[in-house]
Formats: sequence, structure tokens, C-alpha cells
Amino acid sequence: MRALFDFLVKHNDWFLFLLLEGISLVLLVRFNNYQGATFFTSAGSVAGNVYSVFMDANRYFHLKKENDGLLAQNLTLTRELSELKEQLVEYRNKEALQNDSLVNSIRSGYNYLTANVINNSLNSVNNFITLNKGSNDGVRSEMGVFSSDGIVGVVYQVSANRALVIPLLNTKSSVSCRVRGSESFCSLSWDGGDPRYSNLIDLPRYAQFATGDTVVTSGFSSIFPGDLPVGTVEKIDDSADGMFYTVRVKLFVDFSSLTSVFLVGNDDYTEQSNLEKNKKQLKVGS
Amino acid sequence: MHTFLNRLKYFLIAAVIQVLLFSHIHLFGYATVYIYLLFIIKMPRFATRNEQMVWAFALGLVVDMFSNTPGINAAAATLLAFMRDYVLAMFIPNGITEDFTPGTRVLRWGAYVSYAAICTLIFCTALFLLEFFTLSHPLHLAISVSGSTLLTLLFVIVFESLNRRN
Repeated sequence: MRALFDFLVKHNDWFLFLLLEGISLVLLVRFNNYQGATFFTSAGSVAGNVYSVFMDANRYFHLKKENDGLLAQNLTLTRELSELKEQLVEYRNKEALQNDSLVNSIRSGYNYLTANVINNSLNSVNNFITLNKGSNDGVRSEMGVFSSDGIVGVVYQVSANRALVIPLLNTKSSVSCRVRGSESFCSLSWDGGDPRYSNLIDLPRYAQFATGDTVVTSGFSSIFPGDLPVGTVEKIDDSADGMFYTVRVKLFVDFSSLTSVFLVGNDDYTEQSNLEKNKKQLKVGS
Repeated sequence: MHTFLNRLKYFLIAAVIQVLLFSHIHLFGYATVYIYLLFIIKMPRFATRNEQMVWAFALGLVVDMFSNTPGINAAAATLLAFMRDYVLAMFIPNGITEDFTPGTRVLRWGAYVSYAAICTLIFCTALFLLEFFTLSHPLHLAISVSGSTLLTLLFVIVFESLNRRN
């Protein structure tokens, strides 16, 4: 007994070492769980508040670029609006409104919020973005995030006043996309490395497209509405087994200078995801 | 008590500089400067190993909280603190028995840089292994480890030459 006690005292640094490494690994593993605690992240109160103050000051340096982006977006929206108005008049004249299809397509079922980026990383394999809005502002997990250039990512965890986003630049991110003009869809996923590019994997070989084509969201995921811009096709390769295409995509969003973003939530999201959950249970049961 | 407050001061300085400045600089998307390692590298020779590990763990955890990598920096920094005494022992000149802070006032430049290089390499290897959590991208892993080690070492040398002058 005494020998054991002596042994423990003599090698106490080994035990402290194992204890501290143990705590670290528990934190690491628990965070990778979907329901991880937000305290140890920049969405937690300590780090989140520091970043808020720091980014408030930092935002002033990006105002001009931000403004230019918003102006450009405003211009496109105005142009689209006038086009749509014209079309509406046209349809109305044709009495096409009787079947309500256009009205339904305008009332899309998505609601939108805006938020500012308070922390952002590019250099890791699994990057995260922290936003200054949380559940108090109506943000919930699995909302889509996009900027005036294109889509950014999906909300992962939400605390009262902040949200942690899994951007496209995270190996765990996967967004359903298609090449504009082609109907076949596939998922966009990042393999680390250059933050300006991502990859479309498992695109069917019968899909018709060329380099320079625009990649957009498919609208099948219930997170993003369809047709939001993602990037352009940079390079087309064969997948490892030769059954599919793998496409290198140049992303529209410059993640290094991201300051303000929009959040989009599907009103019917709960309904749709519950339905899909039922489907899964059915599969397991049968 | 005085040493504790002094160390707390360096702890906070290291944490702030790392999370607000250096964590956001990444060369070519691969290399990051882990300047906060200086806090561990510069621990006095006779600081007990437990003391070193607790400080390193706490500092790593703070850096983790700010970079959304819970546990990764803490684990790597603790490992470095655990191994530091062995590394330092290789470079202490014969005849020096008193306490000192590792630096070029006591060690020769070559010895200090080698000591810092081994420390940084241990840390970066552990850090990126934990972050990648796989050996399936050996090239990317090797570039990240060597890039970050070299870049951090560069800043350690710059810090030492500035520190020596005044």
C-alpha cells in the first residue's frame, strides 16, 4: 500500500499529464458531437463578447467594400423587381392569376434575417464562423447563411445571443447543389486547403455542363431555397472509381472578407424534417 | 505571489496577441504562427513540471475557445509542457546550476534556436495530428506542420533579437 502511495507521489506529474490530456480529448470529442456545449467555443459568452467588441471596431475598415457590395446587390434586385413587375402585368393581362401559380411561387415560405460576422477562420480543416445573432433573435440551428455574393454555410449551434456557423470551408459541410442549366444535383464538400475553392462530388456522368458554368443551390435540402449562387465550374475531373465527375468549384464568396450575412429559414422546415425523420424510422423498422 | 502575478501578466499578453492577431494570419492557407508558445518556451528552468503543464493547458484552452477547436491546442500545449524539461536539458551548457529563463543571454544562439525548434515541432505535430485526426492526407499534414513550425520559429527569433537589444 505504502509502495503504491510512494509510486503515485513520485510520478504525480505523469498523472497530471494524463488527466489534462484526458480533459482535452473529452472536449475535442464532445464538440464533434452534434449537441456539443457552446461554452468552449466563440459562440460562448466569454470569447463571444471579446470578439464582438473587437469586430465592432474592425468593421469600420470594411465599410466601403461592404457598401459597394450592397449597392451592386441593390441594383440587381431593382432590375429583377422591375422585370418581375413587367411579367406580373403580362400575366395579369393573360388572366393567368386564376390558377395562382405565380402568387404561390412568390410567397416562398422562407423568412430572412441579417447578422454580422464576429469571428471567422480560414486556416483550419474545420473552420467556423460566429455570428452576433442567436436564439433571442430568431436564429435556430440548420438555417442557411448567405452573403450578397453567394451561400456561406449552415448554422450549427445557437446560444442566446450568438450562433456558430459551419461554412462551406469545413470538411463536415455538405450542401446540395446543381450546375445551372442541368437538372442533376450532387453535394458540395470541401477537402481542406485553398479557401477559394470547393468540390462537387459524385456528379452523374450524363450531366451536361462546361467550365465557367454557374453552380447554384438545388433547393432540395430544405435549408436553402433553390438557385442561390455558389460558384463557377473551374475544372472537371473523373472521380476515383470513374463512375462520376468531380468538379472543382471557384466559390463566389470571399471568406477572408466576410462581414455581414443573411440567414434564411424555411417556415415549413420543422414539418419537412419531421416527415423525413419518420421516413428514416420507417427504414430502420422495416 | 509576485511570480504568479507576473506570469499571469505574460499569460494574458500571450493569449490576446495570439487570438486577436496571429490566429487570423495564415500564409497560403497552411501556416499559422503560434506565438503563444513563447510563454511555454520561456518558462524558468526550475518551474515544476506540474506548474508548467497547468499553465500551458489553461493557455491552450483559452486559444481553443477563440478558435473553435476545443481541446486541440490544450492537448498539444500540455504535451509540450510535459516534454519541455527533457528538451531544455539537452542544450544547457555544462556548469550552469542556477535557475534561468531560456534565451540567448544564457544559451548560445544555435542552442536556443534548436531548443525552440524542437519545442515548436513537438507542438505543431501534435496539434495538426489532432486537428486532421487521420493520416490520409500526409502531404497536406506535412506542409501544415513544417510551415507552421518554420513560421513560428521565425517569430521566436525576431522576438529574441528585439528582446536582447533593450
